[in-house]
Amino acid sequence: MSSSPSYAVWALIGACAVALWIASRTVAGRRVVVRPAAVLRRLATDPWLRVPLVLGWAWVGWHLFAR
Amino acid sequence: MPDAARRGLERPVARAASIVVLAGYALWLAATTPFSSPANILTAIAIVAVVTMATIRWPAHPTRMMIAEAERPRHPYLGWVVLAGLIVAWELVMYLVRGSRSAHPTLSSMADAFDRYDDGLKAVACFAWLWLGTAIVRAGTQATTRAADRGAVPS
Repeated sequence: MSSSPSYAVWALIGACAVALWIASRTVAGRRVVVRPAAVLRRLATDPWLRVPLVLGWAWVGWHLFAR
Repeated sequence: MPDAARRGLERPVARAASIVVLAGYALWLAATTPFSSPANILTAIAIVAVVTMATIRWPAHPTRMMIAEAERPRHPYLGWVVLAGLIVAWELVMYLVRGSRSAHPTLSSMADAFDRYDDGLKAVACFAWLWLGTAIVRAGTQATTRAADRGAVPS
């Protein structure tokens, strides 16, 4: 089976992420979506969400570079 | 020299120094082989450093930083939540569907291929991960004035 459809969906998701990031940096887009830094600040200053945020970051590093 | 002016000079210098340190560490980490002791130790040191900094700098009872009412979109985080949902859903589909991993790549398998391709690319990924760790620590530090400069208010 070809891997092209799978990669195409990943590419589409990546394009959506880039589009959101660009939108969050424009004046018009800021009325719809906040910047990634605001999302990070919201998560990191929440007494509960900050724990999975750090654990998730640690897991990603361990999974990608160590194991 | 006034304090504010001195801080204004110190901040870019500190930022440049931290970028150099992170880049050096990323190059070192990228040169290790996964599943080896050096890779485990260097990754663990970075994790322990971020957890330690967060423990020291983050308040025990934080005040949630929200976006100022005047600047707040109707659903400020919706776009990012939907994106995260899409990533998780597609990752699960790729992971659970029957067939070879090359036909159904997950984020991990793509990252592994990316890392194998070139140590330079792996160093970029290491740097991004380390930088995100420092960004998380900074974001959770209750620097109200800095956050307020960017339109955040305590909830």
